[in-house]
Amino acid sequence: MEYKVEAHRIMSISLGKIYNSRVQRGGIKLHKNLLVSLVLRSARQVYLSDYYSGACLNAAQSEREWDITDTEREKFPPSTTECDRVESSEEPQKNERPEKEREYRENDDEVKSDQADCTSTLQQEQNQNSSQDSVAKVSSETLQETINEPKESPSDSALAELDSTPEANGESHQPPKTHVCSNRKRSAEESESGDSPQKKTKVASSNAKEGEEAEEMDTSNVSNLITIFGSSFSGLLSKDGAKPESEAEDSGQICCDQMLKNLNPWSTAIVAF
Amino acid sequence: EAGVGGFYQNKKTFFSFFFILVCDPADVISTVEFNQTGEFLATGDKGGRVVIFQREPQGEYNVYSTFQSHEPEFDYLKSLEIEERINKIRWLPLHNPAHFLLATNDKTIKLWKVSERDKRAEGYNLRDEEGRLKDLSTVTTLQVPVLRPMDLLVEASPRRVFANAHAYHINSISVNSDCETYLSADDLRINLWNLNITDRSFNIVDLKPENMEDLSEVITVAEFHPHHCHLLAFSSSTGTTRLCDMRASALCDQHAKLFEEAADPSHRSFFSEIVSSVSDVKFSHSGRYLLTRDYLTVKVWDLNMENKPVETYQVHDYLRTKLCSLYESDCIFDKFECAWNGTDSVIMTGAYNNYFRMFDRASLRDVTLEASREVCKRRAVLQPRRVCVGKKQKETDVSVDSLDFRKKILHTAWHPKENIIAIAASNNLYIFQDRLTPNGHHNTPEIQSAPPKWQTQPNPPTY
Repeated sequence: MEYKVEAHRIMSISLGKIYNSRVQRGGIKLHKNLLVSLVLRSARQVYLSDYYSGACLNAAQSEREWDITDTEREKFPPSTTECDRVESSEEPQKNERPEKEREYRENDDEVKSDQADCTSTLQQEQNQNSSQDSVAKVSSETLQETINEPKESPSDSALAELDSTPEANGESHQPPKTHVCSNRKRSAEESESGDSPQKKTKVASSNAKEGEEAEEMDTSNVSNLITIFGSSFSGLLSKDGAKPESEAEDSGQICCDQMLKNLNPWSTAIVAF
Repeated sequence: EAGVGGFYQNKKTFFSFFFILVCDPADVISTVEFNQTGEFLATGDKGGRVVIFQREPQGEYNVYSTFQSHEPEFDYLKSLEIEERINKIRWLPLHNPAHFLLATNDKTIKLWKVSERDKRAEGYNLRDEEGRLKDLSTVTTLQVPVLRPMDLLVEASPRRVFANAHAYHINSISVNSDCETYLSADDLRINLWNLNITDRSFNIVDLKPENMEDLSEVITVAEFHPHHCHLLAFSSSTGTTRLCDMRASALCDQHAKLFEEAADPSHRSFFSEIVSSVSDVKFSHSGRYLLTRDYLTVKVWDLNMENKPVETYQVHDYLRTKLCSLYESDCIFDKFECAWNGTDSVIMTGAYNNYFRMFDRASLRDVTLEASREVCKRRAVLQPRRVCVGKKQKETDVSVDSLDFRKKILHTAWHPKENIIAIAASNNLYIFQDRLTPNGHHNTPEIQSAPPKWQTQPNPPTY
């Protein structure tokens, strides 16, 4: 589990570097960002492998089972799932940084609760298209989510709502958090729909402080960095086409973690509730 | 051992030195380069300035010329600021009273002519000494202007501007041995220029994938072979170095040779890729070897053997356990350069804490020296340093934890013929000179009219 903490920390640092690189003088440094993305991917792989080898008992569930589980979960108010409880007990007490890890877990839960809205909407949209593999991954991640409110009925308009209104989840959010959430969903959407360059540009501009970037290099760089969240620099990953979607949610979760850490404690508490 | 690695003849003394400090707190030195004779040393800095030093007859280097090469620019299309920092300087080997060098920032390469003027024409008929038009009614006789001596004036003028050829940041330039062409390399492409033609260049290497999502490596350094005008080498972020032959095809995406060492699985970590990224490549003067620098090592490659280097030197292996904090502080992205001495018998590279390292290839001995104002007194001999991981064995040892990672020596240069080295530490330039004769039997007097010369050259250049 220490590896998980370390991996999580490295992921946060990496995301911070990518984020900061956009405001650096002289433009994005391609070499450095490439290296950072490699570190990010390595750390994420370790993080996820730890995650899966942890307490995710439902990792092998079929798509149908997942739907049922999701529907069931919708009915229940916030409560830890079986996985949560199992993982909590497995967490060794003699952790180097117990407080920090608790914070991570809390963040994870918070994130997953928001993620639930996104992913469930996504899930229902992509019901027919997702492969079993990607769904299995999605289900594994969302197993630990804590649902803090009844879900809205999924629809395309819900996506738009998430983009524009911070109250999509039924409570006031810090804009960055919803912002990130919607981006992740959009990037996941795009990876599913084939990643047209125009959509990439949109993602880049919505996430970055910069304005619209017309030039090829920066658009591709920035959107490339964003789509790391959706699909990594290929060549080292498996060629499973459905991976991008699950990675999108992984990275979205991590993204949310990152943003959450930047929030002040009070808003974090509100969000958690 | 005459003629080989002179500074190891006497184990106690390494370099006694002159030093010059160039203090300009605003400008961190970003590149250092001797010309082909070693008479001139050029430095470029973060503020876009070039400072050229000339070697005086007594052996000291003094400022010869200073000029502003590049200015910050703004690319309106991309909404990007283009830094004026000089990334590389390369001298042209022209035999001309004037000196030429190429200086590049992230986007634009400029050819500068540096010439001396020590005479001035006086006695013009139409203009007076200040250049104002004379009242023609006062001109009664015609005179022939004569050349009169004046105080030496060194002028630098931009002769060519090679612009708009790189979409990505230029990291290298290298002049071909044919003295007609040169290459410029950015993260993904290498272009070939003719020194006289500025409005076009040929693309000879293109690593850009069709889909930028598939990007897996970038070009870090590129250099022409010192003797074979058709050969060039370029290194990448994946730790490989490729040798390309321009005779094979117009686009050298297919390498002639690929120099890559299998990664050590026991060193695998999150940061393995970063640590293996090659930050500098230098051909030996003989043209037979390649020197590559990655974050923790320098390696010597024989051009005839691709699967592993012939020599590997650990620069600061004690940092291997600190990679995570070096990643956090961005230090792990520092790009250290490396250098050969004139006879290819010694290798030099920089490190942290203002340390730099030298490796003698024959004896396999190495030394760590420090370039800092506290330590460097005029004509004092540099004392070797030692970094210890655990307990100090000697008083002079320095613990790993007390290293200052803000003090880094990224840029070093070795005189092409003599044991004179230039070390750039932030905004300070140190020049060190060896006072030992090659065979080490006689300690030369401290002040000498001419620097010692090598008696033999163990590795004559091959063609």
